[in-house]
Amino acid sequence: MVTKETELLDEIKSEFKVDGRVQRKQRIWVSTDKNKLIEMCNWLKDHGFVHLSAVSVTDWLEDGKYELTYHLWSYDDKILITVKTKIDREKPTISSVMPIWEESAQIHERELHELFGVKFKGNSDLVPLFLEDWGGPPPFRKDFDWRNYVREEYYSKENEREKVYYD
Amino acid sequence: MVKRSKKAKTMRKIIKAIWIFNWFNSCGFIELVPLVGSRWDMERFGMIIVGTPRHADVLFIAGYQTLKSIKRAQRVYEQMAEPRVVIALGSCTMTGGMYWDSYNTIKRLEDYLPVNLYIPGCPPRPEAVFEACEKIFQHVKELQ
Repeated sequence: MVTKETELLDEIKSEFKVDGRVQRKQRIWVSTDKNKLIEMCNWLKDHGFVHLSAVSVTDWLEDGKYELTYHLWSYDDKILITVKTKIDREKPTISSVMPIWEESAQIHERELHELFGVKFKGNSDLVPLFLEDWGGPPPFRKDFDWRNYVREEYYSKENEREKVYYD
Repeated sequence: MVKRSKKAKTMRKIIKAIWIFNWFNSCGFIELVPLVGSRWDMERFGMIIVGTPRHADVLFIAGYQTLKSIKRAQRVYEQMAEPRVVIALGSCTMTGGMYWDSYNTIKRLEDYLPVNLYIPGCPPRPEAVFEACEKIFQHVKELQ
Protein backbone atom coordinates (compact mmCIF):
# COMPACT_ATOMS: atom_id res chain seq x y z
CA MET A 1 0.00 0.00 0.00
CA VAL A 2 1.36 3.40 -0.89
CA THR A 3 1.06 5.88 1.94
CA LYS A 4 2.64 9.24 2.43
CA GLU A 5 5.17 7.58 4.75
CA THR A 6 6.39 5.07 2.16
CA GLU A 7 6.40 7.77 -0.50
CA LEU A 8 8.60 9.97 1.62
CA LEU A 9 10.93 7.10 2.50
CA ASP A 10 11.34 6.16 -1.16
CA GLU A 11 12.13 9.76 -1.95
CA ILE A 12 14.79 9.87 0.78
CA LYS A 13 16.25 6.54 -0.35
CA SER A 14 16.58 7.63 -3.96
CA GLU A 15 18.01 10.99 -2.95
CA PHE A 16 20.64 9.82 -0.43
CA LYS A 17 21.05 6.01 -0.90
CA VAL A 18 20.42 5.26 2.78
CA ASP A 19 18.72 2.53 4.81
CA GLY A 20 15.37 3.16 6.37
CA ARG A 21 12.04 1.68 7.23
CA VAL A 22 8.51 2.69 8.00
CA GLN A 23 7.80 1.39 11.46
CA ARG A 24 4.15 2.30 11.52
CA LYS A 25 1.85 5.13 10.63
CA GLN A 26 3.54 8.50 11.15
CA ARG A 27 6.87 6.92 12.10
CA ILE A 28 10.00 6.55 9.94
CA TRP A 29 13.52 5.47 10.84
CA VAL A 30 16.51 6.33 8.68
CA SER A 31 20.17 5.46 9.21
CA THR A 32 22.73 7.53 7.44
CA ASP A 33 26.45 8.15 7.15
CA LYS A 34 27.71 11.11 9.14
CA ASN A 35 29.02 12.85 6.02
CA LYS A 36 25.55 12.92 4.50
CA LEU A 37 23.84 14.11 7.66
CA ILE A 38 23.90 17.87 7.12
CA GLU A 39 22.86 17.58 3.52
CA MET A 40 20.02 15.29 4.51
CA CYS A 41 18.86 17.50 7.36
CA ASN A 42 18.78 20.47 5.01
CA TRP A 43 16.72 18.45 2.56
CA LEU A 44 14.32 17.32 5.28
CA LYS A 45 13.84 20.82 6.59
CA ASP A 46 12.97 21.98 3.10
CA HIS A 47 10.39 19.18 2.98
CA GLY A 48 8.51 20.34 6.06
CA PHE A 49 10.49 18.93 8.98
CA VAL A 50 10.87 22.26 10.71
CA HIS A 51 10.67 20.95 14.26
CA LEU A 52 13.72 19.31 15.83
CA SER A 53 12.22 17.77 18.93
CA ALA A 54 15.27 16.02 20.34
CA VAL A 55 18.86 15.01 19.77
CA SER A 56 20.22 12.09 21.74
CA VAL A 57 23.27 9.87 21.95
CA THR A 58 23.42 6.13 22.47
CA ASP A 59 26.69 4.72 23.70
CA TRP A 60 27.55 1.43 21.97
CA LEU A 61 30.48 0.44 24.12
CA GLU A 62 31.25 -2.90 22.39
CA ASP A 63 31.25 -1.38 18.90
CA GLY A 64 33.23 1.68 19.97
CA LYS A 65 30.55 3.93 18.51
CA TYR A 66 28.25 6.71 19.55
CA GLU A 67 24.91 6.74 17.79
CA LEU A 68 23.35 10.15 17.36
CA THR A 69 19.61 10.30 16.94
CA TYR A 70 17.71 13.27 15.59
CA HIS A 71 13.95 13.33 15.97
CA LEU A 72 12.23 15.54 13.43
CA TRP A 73 8.56 16.38 13.20
CA SER A 74 6.60 17.70 10.28
CA TYR A 75 3.53 19.75 11.10
CA ASP A 76 2.23 19.44 7.54
CA ASP A 77 2.49 15.68 7.09
CA LYS A 78 2.23 14.74 10.80
CA ILE A 79 5.23 12.43 10.49
CA LEU A 80 7.99 11.82 13.01
CA ILE A 81 11.20 10.92 11.26
CA THR A 82 14.20 9.68 13.19
CA VAL A 83 17.60 10.09 11.61
CA LYS A 84 20.42 8.03 13.07
CA THR A 85 24.11 8.25 12.44
CA LYS A 86 27.14 6.63 14.01
CA ILE A 87 30.36 8.34 14.97
CA ASP A 88 33.59 7.19 16.53
CA ARG A 89 33.44 6.88 20.29
CA GLU A 90 36.97 7.92 21.09
CA LYS A 91 37.03 11.04 18.94
CA PRO A 92 33.37 12.00 18.77
CA THR A 93 33.17 14.89 16.34
CA ILE A 94 30.29 15.85 14.11
CA SER A 95 28.99 18.94 12.34
CA SER A 96 26.42 20.90 14.26
CA VAL A 97 22.86 21.15 12.94
CA MET A 98 22.66 24.62 14.44
CA PRO A 99 22.73 26.35 11.04
CA ILE A 100 19.52 24.44 10.24
CA TRP A 101 17.44 24.40 13.43
CA GLU A 102 19.24 27.12 15.40
CA GLU A 103 18.39 27.43 19.09
CA SER A 104 16.53 24.15 19.51
CA ALA A 105 19.61 22.37 18.22
CA GLN A 106 21.98 24.47 20.26
CA ILE A 107 20.75 23.49 23.71
CA HIS A 108 20.55 19.78 22.88
CA GLU A 109 24.04 19.74 21.49
CA ARG A 110 25.36 21.65 24.45
CA GLU A 111 23.92 19.04 26.79
CA LEU A 112 25.33 16.15 24.77
CA HIS A 113 28.72 17.80 24.72
CA GLU A 114 28.61 17.94 28.48
CA LEU A 115 27.31 14.44 29.14
CA PHE A 116 29.01 12.47 26.36
CA GLY A 117 31.84 14.71 25.22
CA VAL A 118 30.62 14.92 21.63
CA LYS A 119 32.15 17.89 19.85
CA PHE A 120 29.69 19.67 17.59
CA LYS A 121 31.60 21.69 15.05
CA GLY A 122 29.81 24.94 14.39
CA ASN A 123 27.89 25.18 17.65
CA SER A 124 28.23 28.64 19.10
CA ASP A 125 28.27 27.78 22.81
CA LEU A 126 29.30 24.45 24.31
CA VAL A 127 30.04 25.47 27.90
CA PRO A 128 28.78 23.04 30.58
CA LEU A 129 25.09 23.24 31.30
CA PHE A 130 24.66 21.42 34.63
CA LEU A 131 28.15 20.40 35.66
CA GLU A 132 30.12 23.36 36.86
CA ASP A 133 33.80 22.77 37.67
CA TRP A 134 33.55 19.20 36.51
CA GLY A 135 36.91 17.45 36.49
CA GLY A 136 35.93 13.90 35.62
CA PRO A 137 35.16 12.24 32.29
CA PRO A 138 31.81 12.83 30.57
CA PRO A 139 29.50 11.15 33.08
CA PHE A 140 27.06 9.44 30.72
CA ARG A 141 29.72 7.33 29.04
CA LYS A 142 29.09 3.69 29.82
CA ASP A 143 32.66 3.05 30.94
CA PHE A 144 32.51 5.83 33.53
CA ASP A 145 32.48 4.15 36.94
CA TRP A 146 30.52 6.78 38.83
CA ARG A 147 30.36 4.84 42.06
CA ASN A 148 34.11 4.58 42.14
CA TYR A 149 34.42 8.24 41.23
CA VAL A 150 32.18 9.20 44.14
CA ARG A 151 34.18 7.05 46.55
CA GLU A 152 37.40 8.75 45.55
CA GLU A 153 35.94 12.22 45.39
CA TYR A 154 33.67 12.37 48.44
CA TYR A 155 34.36 9.56 50.89
CA SER A 156 37.17 8.15 52.92
CA LYS A 157 37.64 4.48 53.75
CA GLU A 158 39.20 5.41 57.07
CA ASN A 159 36.08 7.23 58.20
CA GLU A 160 34.03 4.95 60.43
CA ARG A 161 30.73 6.27 59.13
CA GLU A 162 31.67 6.00 55.49
CA LYS A 163 33.22 2.54 55.53
CA VAL A 164 29.90 1.03 54.46
CA TYR A 165 30.14 2.72 51.10
CA TYR A 166 33.14 0.55 50.23
CA ASP A 167 31.45 -2.83 50.80
CA MET B 1 -4.42 37.54 87.62
CA VAL B 2 -4.79 35.77 84.34
CA LYS B 3 -3.50 32.24 84.42
CA ARG B 4 -1.38 31.39 81.46
CA SER B 5 -0.23 28.00 80.34
CA LYS B 6 3.46 27.22 80.23
CA LYS B 7 3.41 27.27 76.46
CA ALA B 8 1.78 30.68 76.38
CA LYS B 9 4.40 32.00 78.75
CA THR B 10 7.13 30.70 76.53
CA MET B 11 5.50 32.22 73.52
CA ARG B 12 5.16 35.59 75.22
CA LYS B 13 8.84 35.69 75.89
CA ILE B 14 9.57 35.50 72.23
CA ILE B 15 9.61 38.97 70.91
CA LYS B 16 10.93 38.11 67.53
CA ALA B 17 9.04 36.48 64.75
CA ILE B 18 10.98 34.07 62.63
CA TRP B 19 11.23 34.82 58.98
CA ILE B 20 12.24 32.03 56.72
CA PHE B 21 13.86 31.87 53.38
CA ASN B 22 13.43 28.59 51.55
CA TRP B 23 16.16 27.15 49.42
CA PHE B 24 14.59 23.96 48.16
CA ASN B 25 16.22 22.01 45.46
CA SER B 26 14.17 18.92 45.04
CA CYS B 27 11.28 17.06 46.61
CA GLY B 28 11.89 18.97 49.84
CA PHE B 29 9.62 21.80 48.84
CA ILE B 30 6.72 19.55 47.97
CA GLU B 31 6.99 17.84 51.32
CA LEU B 32 6.99 21.11 53.23
CA VAL B 33 4.10 22.78 51.49
CA PRO B 34 1.68 21.46 54.21
CA LEU B 35 3.52 23.73 56.64
CA VAL B 36 2.27 26.74 54.80
CA GLY B 37 -1.25 25.45 54.41
CA SER B 38 -4.03 25.65 56.93
CA ARG B 39 -3.57 22.28 58.60
CA TRP B 40 -0.02 22.77 59.86
CA ASP B 41 -0.08 26.54 59.48
CA MET B 42 3.28 27.89 60.57
CA GLU B 43 2.18 31.48 60.67
CA ARG B 44 0.53 30.91 64.04
CA PHE B 45 4.06 30.63 65.45
CA GLY B 46 5.13 33.83 63.81
CA MET B 47 6.96 32.07 61.07
CA ILE B 48 6.56 33.36 57.58
CA ILE B 49 8.29 32.80 54.29
CA VAL B 50 9.91 35.89 52.90
CA GLY B 51 10.86 36.64 49.37
CA THR B 52 14.45 37.64 49.90
CA PRO B 53 17.29 36.28 52.03
CA ARG B 54 18.08 39.82 53.19
CA HIS B 55 14.93 39.78 55.31
CA ALA B 56 15.30 36.24 56.56
CA ASP B 57 16.50 34.92 59.90
CA VAL B 58 16.38 31.27 59.03
CA LEU B 59 17.51 29.50 55.91
CA PHE B 60 15.72 26.24 55.19
CA ILE B 61 17.63 23.96 52.91
CA ALA B 62 15.86 20.84 51.78
CA GLY B 63 16.88 17.98 49.61
CA TYR B 64 20.09 17.26 47.79
CA GLN B 65 22.20 20.11 46.55
CA THR B 66 24.03 19.79 43.29
CA LEU B 67 27.50 21.13 42.79
CA LYS B 68 25.97 23.98 40.87
CA SER B 69 23.18 24.90 43.26
CA ILE B 70 25.31 24.81 46.42
CA LYS B 71 27.24 27.82 45.18
CA ARG B 72 24.00 29.74 44.86
CA ALA B 73 22.96 28.56 48.32
CA GLN B 74 26.22 29.91 49.72
CA ARG B 75 25.54 33.27 48.13
CA VAL B 76 22.03 33.27 49.56
CA TYR B 77 23.51 32.56 52.98
CA GLU B 78 26.02 35.39 52.64
CA GLN B 79 23.22 37.84 51.98
CA MET B 80 21.41 37.06 55.22
CA ALA B 81 21.75 39.40 58.17
CA GLU B 82 23.12 38.23 61.52
CA PRO B 83 21.99 36.40 63.58
CA ARG B 84 21.19 33.70 61.10
CA VAL B 85 20.33 30.06 61.35
CA VAL B 86 20.61 27.31 58.78
CA ILE B 87 18.28 24.35 59.07
CA ALA B 88 18.83 21.38 56.81
CA LEU B 89 15.90 19.11 56.08
CA GLY B 90 15.89 15.54 54.95
CA SER B 91 18.44 12.79 54.85
CA CYS B 92 19.90 14.08 51.57
CA THR B 93 21.51 17.01 53.31
CA MET B 94 23.05 14.77 55.98
CA THR B 95 24.53 11.88 54.04
CA GLY B 96 23.42 12.29 50.48
CA GLY B 97 20.44 10.04 51.20
CA MET B 98 19.44 7.95 48.25
CA TYR B 99 21.90 9.99 46.18
CA TRP B 100 24.90 8.83 48.20
CA ASP B 101 26.59 7.56 45.03
CA SER B 102 25.63 10.37 42.69
CA TYR B 103 28.59 12.10 41.07
CA ASN B 104 26.86 15.46 40.93
CA THR B 105 25.39 16.02 44.38
CA ILE B 106 27.09 17.07 47.57
CA LYS B 107 27.05 14.59 50.43
CA ARG B 108 27.32 16.63 53.62
CA LEU B 109 25.91 20.11 53.75
CA GLU B 110 28.09 21.08 56.70
CA ASP B 111 31.14 20.93 54.44
CA TYR B 112 29.72 23.90 52.56
CA LEU B 113 27.53 25.84 54.99
CA PRO B 114 27.46 26.20 58.78
CA VAL B 115 24.41 24.07 59.56
CA ASN B 116 22.76 24.72 62.92
CA LEU B 117 20.23 21.94 62.86
CA TYR B 118 19.53 18.82 60.86
CA ILE B 119 16.05 17.41 60.59
CA PRO B 120 16.25 13.77 59.53
CA GLY B 121 13.59 12.04 57.50
CA CYS B 122 12.81 11.31 53.94
CA PRO B 123 10.92 13.60 54.02
CA PRO B 124 10.70 14.98 57.58
CA ARG B 125 7.19 15.17 58.97
CA PRO B 126 5.76 18.62 59.74
CA GLU B 127 5.90 17.77 63.45
CA ALA B 128 9.63 17.27 63.18
CA VAL B 129 9.99 20.63 61.50
CA PHE B 130 8.00 22.26 64.29
CA GLU B 131 10.21 20.61 66.87
CA ALA B 132 13.17 22.10 65.11
CA CYS B 133 11.47 25.46 65.08
CA GLU B 134 10.89 25.25 68.78
CA LYS B 135 14.62 24.87 69.10
CA ILE B 136 15.07 28.04 67.09
CA PHE B 137 12.74 29.83 69.48
CA GLN B 138 14.92 28.54 72.28
CA HIS B 139 17.90 29.84 70.40
CA VAL B 140 16.27 33.24 70.02
CA LYS B 141 15.58 33.31 73.74
CA GLU B 142 19.20 32.61 74.47
CA LEU B 143 20.24 35.39 72.16
CA GLN B 144 18.29 37.99 74.12
